[in-house]
Amino acid sequence: MTTMATPTQPAPTKTAPAPVYNPKSESGTAKRIKSTIFHIVALALVAMVLYPALWMIASSFKPNSEIGGANTSLWSNNFSFDNFATAMEGIGGVSTLTFFTNSLILAVGAVVGTVLSASISAYAFARINFPGRGLFFGMMIATLLLPFHVVIIPQYIVFQQLGLVDTYIPLLIGKFLAADAFFVFLMVQFMRGLPAELDEAARIDGAGHVRIFGSIMLPLMKPALISTSIFSFIWSWNDFLGPLLYLNTPEKYPLPLALRLFVDQTQSSDYGAMIAMSVLALLPVLVFFLVFQRYIVEGVSTQGLKG
Amino acid sequence: MIDRRKFLGTVALGTASAAFLAACGQSSTAGQAGSAENPVTITYTWWGNDDRAERTRKAIALFESKNPDIKVNGNFSDFAGYWQKRATEAAGGGLPDVMQWDLSYLRDYGQRNQLLDLGTVKVNTDSFDKSLLPSGQIKGKTYGIPTSTNAFAVYYDPAKLQSLGIAEPDGTWTYKEFNAFLTEVGAKGNGTLFGGTDYTGIWWNFNIWLRQNNIQAFTEDGKLGFSKDDLKKWWNLTADLRGTGAIVGEDKTTQLLPKSPFGSNVTATEVTWDNFMAGYLADSGAKELKLVPVPSDDPDNLGLFLKPSMLMVASAKTKYKDAAARFIDFMVNDPEVGQIFKTSRGVPASKTQRDGTTFEGTDKLVVDYEKSIEKYLKDAPEPPIVGFGTLESTFKRVTQDLNYGKLTVDGAVDAWFKEAEDLIKQNA
Repeated sequence: MTTMATPTQPAPTKTAPAPVYNPKSESGTAKRIKSTIFHIVALALVAMVLYPALWMIASSFKPNSEIGGANTSLWSNNFSFDNFATAMEGIGGVSTLTFFTNSLILAVGAVVGTVLSASISAYAFARINFPGRGLFFGMMIATLLLPFHVVIIPQYIVFQQLGLVDTYIPLLIGKFLAADAFFVFLMVQFMRGLPAELDEAARIDGAGHVRIFGSIMLPLMKPALISTSIFSFIWSWNDFLGPLLYLNTPEKYPLPLALRLFVDQTQSSDYGAMIAMSVLALLPVLVFFLVFQRYIVEGVSTQGLKG
Repeated sequence: MIDRRKFLGTVALGTASAAFLAACGQSSTAGQAGSAENPVTITYTWWGNDDRAERTRKAIALFESKNPDIKVNGNFSDFAGYWQKRATEAAGGGLPDVMQWDLSYLRDYGQRNQLLDLGTVKVNTDSFDKSLLPSGQIKGKTYGIPTSTNAFAVYYDPAKLQSLGIAEPDGTWTYKEFNAFLTEVGAKGNGTLFGGTDYTGIWWNFNIWLRQNNIQAFTEDGKLGFSKDDLKKWWNLTADLRGTGAIVGEDKTTQLLPKSPFGSNVTATEVTWDNFMAGYLADSGAKELKLVPVPSDDPDNLGLFLKPSMLMVASAKTKYKDAAARFIDFMVNDPEVGQIFKTSRGVPASKTQRDGTTFEGTDKLVVDYEKSIEKYLKDAPEPPIVGFGTLESTFKRVTQDLNYGKLTVDGAVDAWFKEAEDLIKQNA
């Protein structure tokens, strides 16, 4: 019964002095509590999101028999660098460094090719009014809808007949010919957002397409170019099927092919070495991302603004 | 991952286009030969892990030193990727000259004329067990030569049984005794250690049970050789065990993936091929695992057979038939190759190779097991029918539903038969 009566009393006594003597402290503590709760929730979410990464890093130091299966703990009493040693030994006489180099060649090739070809094609679609532009643009978008698996065999036959299997050409030529419609589309959209007055002004000053593209468009497109680089780098770095089909010499294999070789259902699987190599394989992507991440945000935010 | 349907589609498409291309291009006939100064180069491809890559590299080096007129370019990938790549290459008409092969793909590629009839070239099979060779043959043509063999077995972990105070099995047991054994392990294991996985979920186990009852799994013309009642009897064998400690639950099994319950130390036994030994040892960290024969209600007929763990095949389009044959002959027969691979491919199938190899430790366990069951061995089954992979995985899936309690035994039998009959009709 007493509890029923009390609630009416303390409420005013608590709120009454606050606005008079120190308005900031009351709202300040409330803010602080709110922000603490927010941070706890945020940290809990981060922990959840980061758990797989943590699991991977912890597992890369564990012996094979303690990874997966009934072992749920992150901790182990047998942490060691053995897995990394195995991973760096290489596979079938090919050193792990070779796999890294190959992945890097392919990824850098993909970035250079995509950025060059996609930006030029995008310029044509966005700024030059050539006959059939709508049709070609539509066809380009249509290739986006075509699942990759549909074209595997015809493409393979073409490259096989040209004698280009077991070279990097089948993996890179598409990048240099703007076959990645997604990036072309991304850049077209970006360019359409740039004010047309800029190139009109340049044209009045006597600039041709090459000059407009090189001096006006490219510098302004930096955010789009960087998003494209990041995505094509990561996609190429992670690509498995392309290299699997087109490369035959182990010395030319990139990392994703090598990674799979530690896990074999028909024999024994060395999960430890695979995870250790995965951790190593993640590093370049992570570094690439850290260096360019502010541009990603910039790219996304400026693409949202329509001119 | 590529599934069966996609794979078949790819092969079908591939064969069609390959046929078209073959019609356009010139057809190569007699094999070309090389010399020491001007060696021919053949390509060899295999699936497997880093360990196999290392061993194969050694074998190839040995072959090249003994055959200076032939060079071998080796390449490898993981099992799933391997078949994706082969399907694409078959389409482009560019299969490697010599390939490591799996039994379940032999009929698909053999019937589509992608593989060389090895009966037309010189590969010595004198020292092979005669019951084994038919597994590489389809309609009288030899498409594959087995490199090595597997047999079905019951694995158990002696240390775990000892800690529970259970005597080690000697491998002469009926299904009833086997069930009682599983139940005892489950009861004493008290929720932390289970007897085993549901052994009725594995196709090959069912196949062996059929053989014990003198029933053929598939007829000559590729139809089912057993009735719904047979399958009902089979799935009812563990009906009382499902949901108890004798059999580990399906939810738990799924949580443990990619490792098996046995490899995760959750069960005390597992019924599967004897070449999983190295994998189980690595996954579980157990000191020792042992093998005993599968249960049978007829002590004289265990239904066991040797299955080629893998085969060697050559591409039908190879330009170097003779070189390819010599390489295959070397890989399956040479005792030094046996020394390199030990039992990592399975127990060597050729007697010359087997006798020339010294086995120690785990390798010896597997070899000794296959020796111990020698008198029970019967002819290996013919290469599985086209679409067998789907039948096998459906078999497993339906048993999983049984264990989840989603299906009754009768319902499961109907479900599996429907899918099986549809598939056989489709591929007929």
